[in-house]
Amino acid sequence: MSRTNSRRGALVVALVVVASAVLATGVIAGHFQSVDPPSFHQALLTGEITQVAVVQTEDGSPGHGIFAQLTQAGHLCLFEAPSATSRAHGGACNPVDNPLNGSALSATLSYDGGPAIGDVTSATLFGLTARGVARARVLMSDGSSREVKLRKAKVGSDEFQVFGYRFKKADLKRGIGPTAIVAFDANGMELGRQPTGIGG
Amino acid sequence: MRNLGVGLAGVLAALLLAGTAVAGTTYAGPKMWWPNEGAGSAYSSGWHYNYFFKESGLDATVTFIDNVSYSWHGTVRGTSSTIYARWYVSNVKRGHCFSHSGYQWGSCYVTD
Repeated sequence: MSRTNSRRGALVVALVVVASAVLATGVIAGHFQSVDPPSFHQALLTGEITQVAVVQTEDGSPGHGIFAQLTQAGHLCLFEAPSATSRAHGGACNPVDNPLNGSALSATLSYDGGPAIGDVTSATLFGLTARGVARARVLMSDGSSREVKLRKAKVGSDEFQVFGYRFKKADLKRGIGPTAIVAFDANGMELGRQPTGIGG
Repeated sequence: MRNLGVGLAGVLAALLLAGTAVAGTTYAGPKMWWPNEGAGSAYSSGWHYNYFFKESGLDATVTFIDNVSYSWHGTVRGTSSTIYARWYVSNVKRGHCFSHSGYQWGSCYVTD
């Protein structure tokens, strides 16, 4: 009798676990699928573009712009390129009410060429930080780091700090690339860190 | 009358083909992504945008790979809820997406 009860109990527990997993999966998938790709794409094509910063290089390469878009789908998108109409560029979008993903910074690495780092012809790390971030540094694969300039920028009705760092071609040719970006407060305390890198 | 029918059928077929040519396609997911997992679309000269729609926090890359040098173009890596690569040229290419972290949901989509 007790063996039967034990089996029933185990069965009930197993069913509850499976049902919970199915329910959780459905909730996550349902939430995730709320993005309709064609609608999102159309909103990106029609969103107004504003240049929020210019990124200069240390080795004299032409500067790139950082551009922001507020889409009708309720997203804030950032991309970097020589111009707003450049044929090749990449960007990143977050909901306009959570543009930093709840973090102190949101960074995007954009590059052309590769995937081997020595074949990359241009690479830029760009993004936004919260206003409480005093400085940010890019950590490199050779153990060195690079200071990133933060500039105040108004995007929509909110104020952020925007940053952009174009990697030296000499570094890329030597196989030296970024591994992470770290944000600090005025006392040097780490506020946020995001891994990055070329290839994948 | 028969010719008219054939003509109409031809027009319909052309419209259907045109509709297919401009439509985007989800080539991976929606699904749970594992660390260091990648996916690729079919090759086409019509793709110009490659998206990774995902839960924010998933560290991922999207790019276009041409079918001559197999170089990457318009590549982006980030943790934002959507990242996209734009390569607005007529070269034959495929979309590629890659998850560096994992255990989160996402899907990859190419379109003109």
